[in-house]
Amino acid sequence: MTLEFDGTVRREGFVLAAQVRADPGEVVAVLGPNGAGKTTLLRAVCGLLRVDDGSITLDGRTLDDPARSRFVPAERRRIGVVFQDHRLFPHQRVIDNVAFGLRSQGVAPREARRRAAGWLDRLGLTDLSRRRPGQLSGGQAQRVALARALAIDPGALLLDEPLAALDVQTRAEVQGELRQHLSAYPGPTLLVTHDPIEALLLATRLVVIEQGRVVQQGTPAQITGRPVTPYVARLVGMNLYAGTSRGGIVALDGGGEIVAPDAPDGPVLVTLRPSAFTVHVEAPHGSSARNRWHGAIAAMVPLADRIRLTVTVPQPVLVDVTASAVAELRLEPGLPVWLTAKATDVTAYPAPVR
Amino acid sequence: MKTAGARTPIALVPPAAVGVAFLVLPTVALVIRAPWSDLATIYRSNDITSALRISIETSLQALVLSLILGVPLAWLLARSTAPGIAVVRALVTVPLVLPPVVGGLALFLALGRNGVAGRYLDRWFGITLPFTQHGVVLAEAFVAMPFLVVTVEGAFRTADRGLEEAAATLGAGRLRVFSRVTLPLIVPSLAAGSVLCWARALGEFGATLLFAGNLPGATQTMPLLILYAFNNKPQDAVALSLPLLVVAVVILGLLRDRWLRPAAAS
Repeated sequence: MTLEFDGTVRREGFVLAAQVRADPGEVVAVLGPNGAGKTTLLRAVCGLLRVDDGSITLDGRTLDDPARSRFVPAERRRIGVVFQDHRLFPHQRVIDNVAFGLRSQGVAPREARRRAAGWLDRLGLTDLSRRRPGQLSGGQAQRVALARALAIDPGALLLDEPLAALDVQTRAEVQGELRQHLSAYPGPTLLVTHDPIEALLLATRLVVIEQGRVVQQGTPAQITGRPVTPYVARLVGMNLYAGTSRGGIVALDGGGEIVAPDAPDGPVLVTLRPSAFTVHVEAPHGSSARNRWHGAIAAMVPLADRIRLTVTVPQPVLVDVTASAVAELRLEPGLPVWLTAKATDVTAYPAPVR
Repeated sequence: MKTAGARTPIALVPPAAVGVAFLVLPTVALVIRAPWSDLATIYRSNDITSALRISIETSLQALVLSLILGVPLAWLLARSTAPGIAVVRALVTVPLVLPPVVGGLALFLALGRNGVAGRYLDRWFGITLPFTQHGVVLAEAFVAMPFLVVTVEGAFRTADRGLEEAAATLGAGRLRVFSRVTLPLIVPSLAAGSVLCWARALGEFGATLLFAGNLPGATQTMPLLILYAFNNKPQDAVALSLPLLVVAVVILGLLRDRWLRPAAAS
């Protein structure tokens, strides 16, 4: 039961050309900014959209392959979809919503209701079975949508920004149990989202797409440890610079140098945690840190337990400092500062070939 | 909405007031001048029962016919991307603007015994439509169906496609999506369109007269009976109009309180 998308979808002024694979039991998050092609991918996989080239297969069965004139319409794919806006049928009770798929497959009314009741029970929704969707909270509606998708015994499960429509408190409640339900589901799961937290919480593997292309994929640890695009770096809160390394010195594409003894020669990406820097208001003397820049504070944003500075050297650098350091050094926007970072805090790795 | 009312340009008020008077006064006059004490006698002497029966039967049959043909038509007009669908839409709404008398004449030329299509109905199946109760139904449906089609088409156009997509991913074929999702979603509009359609059929006069005639007990509907009475005993016509007035008021009440409430959709 492996789900594989390897195709191209062309829309007005936009091309999605990607290869995404999800194995049984795997939860793959397709992460990308708005307009990256995530929803297009999801719609193609569930059959609401056709690919222009390439193919979609599930468990060895070809769902879409224009070259072989094969297209299985949505209603015959048996892929469960949980839409962002849930899309529950407003005129049907919760139990009938969940039984809808079974009824569509020809299951007799009584048996369909019995099985639907089983799913409601499993998701803790039994008390709500006679309600209408209009009488449900966001979190409840989401669970009903999940029950409805799981009730058709789907060969794959797709989720479109499952937590995005929920308020902050509901999210906290829902994400834990959603994670549980997803891990109980034996088939492949594809989750599209623009929210890295959602992806990191729910997924076992991430695929990052930007402008219709896969730019990076791997485990959450691989992605957060070695971001390859500014988008991913921003998502995981890292400084990322591209440059060319020679003998442990990286000449940055945007100007300046970084000392990174472990960097392999050639085109590399360099990351630095915002907390790796030390801020000085006078030129530092006798510091053992081998990386040193001079610039000015462009912005200051308070985070939970620290202050995040943007320092332009002239490339923007994110720097985290404590509130007491801000007070002590009298840091303020426009103030010229020196930054130092130890070479051992620099991570460098070969830039992916594009 | 008090603020909106306060901002009404004063110049609009007098013509609006005259407009209200113009629309309401005739109805009031009908009620005032009705021969209330002689109603029973008038109804008995004019065979109101059979005209009322024919009116109700034919208008309901016309509604059923309009639903059977009009709902699928409305769906196609709303959703089809076929070339020429705009032309079809224009053509089927012609009866909306066509004078009913002309419509009746046109029906006669199409479905009359020597009509373009009617002659074959007569020759092959022995079916004759003009001057029969079926003819009344056809004349009424011809005039009334576009009201249903236009109302329902708008609803199909604005119905949430997302729900239809969700139904498809759950394994529902096109017909099931239509019958179990789309149709239930547009029930408020379907009801409103049906009421409009039925009311129009009930009041139909011109097309019925030309295509089905004015045969008491067979094709004479209430509007035709009223005309007949008006030519002979005008006072009777007033009395005969009252039941239709009652129906109109009831329809208005139904539309207001049941089907045109926005919340009814949820």
